[in-house]
Parts: sequence; C-alpha cells; structure tokens
Amino acid sequence: MTMKPLNSDALIADLVGDLAPVRPLRFGAGLAAVLAAAGISAAAVVAVLGLRPAWLAGAVNPMHLIATGLYGGLGLAATVTVIIMGRPQVGSDHSGWRWAALMAALLPLAGLIVAIGRGAEELAPDVMLYGAECLTIGAAASLLVLGVLTAWLRRGAPTAPTRAGLVAGVAAGAFGSFAVSIHCPANDIVHIGIWHSMAVLAMAGLGRVLVPRLVRW
Amino acid sequence: MRADEATLAHLMALSQSGDRQAYAALLEACQRWLRGYYSRRIAPSSLDDLVQETLIALHTKRASWDPTRPFLPWLAAIARYRWVDHLRRLYRADERELNEELLGSDDEPAIAARISIDRLLGLLPPAQERAIALVKIDGLSIAEASAATGQSESLVKVNIHRGLKKLALLIEKE
Repeated sequence: MTMKPLNSDALIADLVGDLAPVRPLRFGAGLAAVLAAAGISAAAVVAVLGLRPAWLAGAVNPMHLIATGLYGGLGLAATVTVIIMGRPQVGSDHSGWRWAALMAALLPLAGLIVAIGRGAEELAPDVMLYGAECLTIGAAASLLVLGVLTAWLRRGAPTAPTRAGLVAGVAAGAFGSFAVSIHCPANDIVHIGIWHSMAVLAMAGLGRVLVPRLVRW
Repeated sequence: MRADEATLAHLMALSQSGDRQAYAALLEACQRWLRGYYSRRIAPSSLDDLVQETLIALHTKRASWDPTRPFLPWLAAIARYRWVDHLRRLYRADERELNEELLGSDDEPAIAARISIDRLLGLLPPAQERAIALVKIDGLSIAEASAATGQSESLVKVNIHRGLKKLALLIEKE
C-alpha cells in the first residue's frame, strides 16, 4: 500500500479491499522461534567444532559455568525485550535487558583487570589469534538469531528501530557467546571476559547499524 | 459507533481474521479517534495527511496487535510514532508552512490521559517541549520562538533537535 488516495473515505475503501487475514504476533511464538534458532546455532557449533573437552571428561569449572549462564541470561533477557518491542503499546517497558547486560558486563571488566595485571603476555600473537577465533565463531553463531529477531521486528512495529536493532544485536551476540562457551576449552577469565564478550559488542554494533534500515516503517 | 476499547478490540480481532465489514467499521472509528488524538498537536493543514498515514500504518502493522492485549494503547503507540516521524520530517525539511491558525475545537479526545500526546510531550524538559510546541506545532519561526521563550535562536534549534530525538525514544512511555 504505497499510494495515498486524496480523501480518507477512498483510503479506507482501499485498505478494506486490501484486507487479508493475518496471524497476530504472539509473545510465545516469538520466544520459541528465537530459542530454537539459538539451540540450532549451539548444536551447529558442537557438531562442527566439538563439545568442550572438559565436559566430555565429566569436569566442570565454576567460572566457566557462571560466564556461560550470564551469556545465556543476557541473550534471553534481550530477546524478551526485542519481542516486546515488536508489539508496540504505550506503557511497555523496554529496560529489562539492561540489568542482565550490567551483570554480564562484569565479565569483560574482570577480564580487563586481570589482563592489565598480567601485562604484555595477553598481547602475544598466539593468544590474540586464539581469542580472534572464538570471536569469529561467536559472531557466526549469532547470525541465525539476529536473522530471526530481524524478521520478527519487520513483521512487528518497533517504535524505536535503532534501539531495537541494538538490543537484537546484543541478544544474538550473547547467544553466540553462549554457543562458543559450549565448545571453547578455556576457563580463563581474560579469554572468556574479553574475547567472548567481544562477540556481543560486535553484534550489538552490527545490529544497531544494520537492523534499523530493515525494520523502519 | 463509539470508539471505546472493548468495541475497537472486538472489531480489530475480527479484522485480523479477514472480516471486511468489521474492518471498515474499525477504520472509520479509528479515523475519528485519531482526529481527536492529534487535535491541536499538529497543524490543521497536516491533519488529514497524518491521519491517513496512521491508518496505513495500522493496516500494514495490524499483525503486531495481540488480541489478548488492549487495543487503544497499541493504536496510541502507532499514532505517536507517526506523529514524531511527521515532526522529524518537518525538522529535516525545515519547512515553514505551519502558520495557519489552529482549530479552536474544545473536543477532548476520548482516551485515557496516559496515552495522550500531551503526556508524551510532558516527558520532555520544559525548554524542549516549548521549543517544539512553538515551532513544530504552532508554526512560529525560530526568531519568533526565540523572542517568545527568551532562548537564543541557536538554543531553540538545539532544543528542537534534542527534543525530537528524545521523543523518538519515549514513544511507548506512559
């Protein structure tokens, strides 16, 4: 519907003539689609790159578990916010994801503090290369979720497209980092806190730049 | 037909399933509701365009309303989005075509105050709200708004710019 008739009566007649049944955007359907996408992405990472060796040996690391949980929690909280953003309503709250982001931000913060204490060894080429590998895997594993969230926002009516794009990127990146955590053998806070979190930041930036162009209405 | 919440929600639910008779009634009711909603918050010369743009948005985005949720807060969010977009387009185009007298209607929109445009404008700092109201709604020039508010001309421009940016982020705020 791109042409605008001269008067409202003609417009209404046009719109009525154009009416076709639609399936309303249900919260549960949106959440299920994103969780399915996140699950498929994590399964793909495990299928292609393998499960974390320590888990195969039956060992768990508390720091790794907490970090993985924080990424998963951030992905879930940001996803819920994006789903709400797709269904506008005066009175909706879009701030819930920020608390999860604040908690997850402790990971890069702690990683940076420890890295500064260690000094130049964290800048060695092999350390950087290993980190960049996880960043790449995390970013790749987040693309499906970003696609599903973008499709949701395109069907919906986000009233703050730029912010919706940013939060969609955060959600996708967090689920990407969650998927990487299932594969990556590292328990080191510097590696997890900096490199795994970088996927979240990278996808947040990508979402903020790319998604608004696709969902503005 | 009265544009009350229950009636509109019922018509919208029928419309989502493809009932054209209900949809025609809904659009007629929404058109009247929107005219009241935008009343005195847009130049009269732009009212028809804005109402039509909002009806088109209602049509294209009708799937984004969930029948388990209230209808009017959804419509108000759509209407606020289109209104802010309209003001921003005016800002970008730097138009000066809003000098007509505003309609003196005393009709109050039959909606809860919390979803009104006044409520949205009220979320801005007073200086930004006043600059936007004078220039973008009442149609004053920057110089006239500067004289009316005591703000410098550049401050009026800054307040409009910042206010519009903030409005775009506050559309769903009560």
